[in-house]
Amino acid sequence: MTSLHTIQSLFYDAVFDRKKDSSALSEISEYINATPGLNAQDHFNIYRDSIIATLNRALREIYPVCCRLVGEKFFNGMGTEYMRSHPSCSADLAEYGGDFAEFISGFKHASELPYLADVAQLELAWHRAFHAADESGLDLAALDEVSETDKPHIVFYLPVSASLIASEFPIQHIWQVNQSDFEGDDRVDLDEGGIKLLIWRQDYTMRIDPMDDVEWSILKQIETGHSFDSLCTILSENKPIADIENILPVLVQRGWIASFSIDD
Amino acid sequence: MFLLALIMAKFEQAVISGAGIGLRSQHYQEILADKPEVNWFEALTENYFGDGGLPLHHLEKVREHYPITLHGVGMSLGSTSPVDHNYLAKLKRLIERFEPAYVSDHLAWVSVDGHFVHDLVPFPYTEEALKNFVNNVMQAQDYLGRSLLIENPASYLGFDCADMTEWDFLREVVARTECDLLIDVNNIYVSAVNHGFDALEYIKALPPERVKEIHLAGYEDHKDYLFDTHGYRVHPPVWELYRSALDYFGPVATLIEWDTDIPGFNVLMEEASKADQLMRAVA
Ligand SMILES: [Fe+2]
Repeated sequence: MTSLHTIQSLFYDAVFDRKKDSSALSEISEYINATPGLNAQDHFNIYRDSIIATLNRALREIYPVCCRLVGEKFFNGMGTEYMRSHPSCSADLAEYGGDFAEFISGFKHASELPYLADVAQLELAWHRAFHAADESGLDLAALDEVSETDKPHIVFYLPVSASLIASEFPIQHIWQVNQSDFEGDDRVDLDEGGIKLLIWRQDYTMRIDPMDDVEWSILKQIETGHSFDSLCTILSENKPIADIENILPVLVQRGWIASFSIDD
Repeated sequence: MFLLALIMAKFEQAVISGAGIGLRSQHYQEILADKPEVNWFEALTENYFGDGGLPLHHLEKVREHYPITLHGVGMSLGSTSPVDHNYLAKLKRLIERFEPAYVSDHLAWVSVDGHFVHDLVPFPYTEEALKNFVNNVMQAQDYLGRSLLIENPASYLGFDCADMTEWDFLREVVARTECDLLIDVNNIYVSAVNHGFDALEYIKALPPERVKEIHLAGYEDHKDYLFDTHGYRVHPPVWELYRSALDYFGPVATLIEWDTDIPGFNVLMEEASKADQLMRAVA
């Protein structure tokens, strides 16, 4: 008698044809009853089609602009290919597709759209920010009360929802003209050049904020978790040189710095 | 423990009766603006597994005005691996925050060795599967500190190694654990047509005192089989079967489920009021 686990494993392998030879499909079919009008494989295919459609729908929900750029048919083909090598490891479908951008950059049929992987990264950052924990923003009064001796040991944090994304393509512009409510000229010139972005959520409002190279280098250093002291040292040696004393209040005011702690 | 829960309750007591409606994001604004007369809402558990953001905010607002139930698809109680503690921890966090009247999941498996298919797949109803399922239900209930409702899925395949019917299997599950039942009348109808069994025999075999909730939805006719899309009004033969179910079970709280091609909220209200009328007739 075949164990329950064997049946479930065969079923899973058959859905994603993991061995690429349909052997799991013929094996699982032997356990499935035929009914009038439907043989065992027909019954199995109802599930397989529905599973693949569900995962593709989940990917389209996270990556709607990518889907729009390549068309739904191509997108689903790419998604189905992705599923074979990238199992879903959480009951929460919103966690599926975390490395889709990486997959796209190696997907040869999409090589005509070199910016597609970066757009996917932007969309993933958006999706994660949308579901990230709520945060109240920087406590300025508490920051004010930090003593002079503690000041060098302050560690600043970006919003928990934040992702820093850089691309050599104008991915923010591409993203904007592909929103369903966009009106106007939807042409994008790839020669516009690259962009550096902070994607985050302020209360319940989603933000995609562009920034210059200096701001980028500061935020990148903050992201790695340096204390204020070492932040100043690193940034004074960096090119371009960042005048952190003057820039920091601007970053705070934009909401890009959401909390701090004292490192000891 | 239950006493403590009462003392600490943030919300009005979450007992549900009458017809409820499946909560979908398309309707948040309308529900919060108009506060329609709905007895209760059912939220899909995994949609609120995020750490924060608008979905949880909206559920919080809805909960301030209505009782809710939590309905999941990801517990995978039919898997041979133990129930995932990470999943249960997230569910428990939701239970503590929203105080649902019921917490439900399905008679199905959705993952094997930690890999998910995100579909409610049936398994052969055997003694081995029964022990496994009962074990998983008990583990989950222990962790959550409350009993679950188990729902019958719509199914599109049967296994030749099965040695009991789905209703016998469910009856054994409730006999061996403290869980109760969520009976989806549409799913019974769909499976009865697909597998050629008698839907009424299924309903009559279940212990009425353990049926705490009913689901109603619309299937799609694919000629050789019926498919459970939850994308239509409840079909006439399902209303008919529902009437019989109410005769056996009494006026059990009933949900209108709609998941694809989600219509205006008024359509769901119309379906709910139909269910309410039928419930009143047997009350
Ligand atoms: Fe249901």
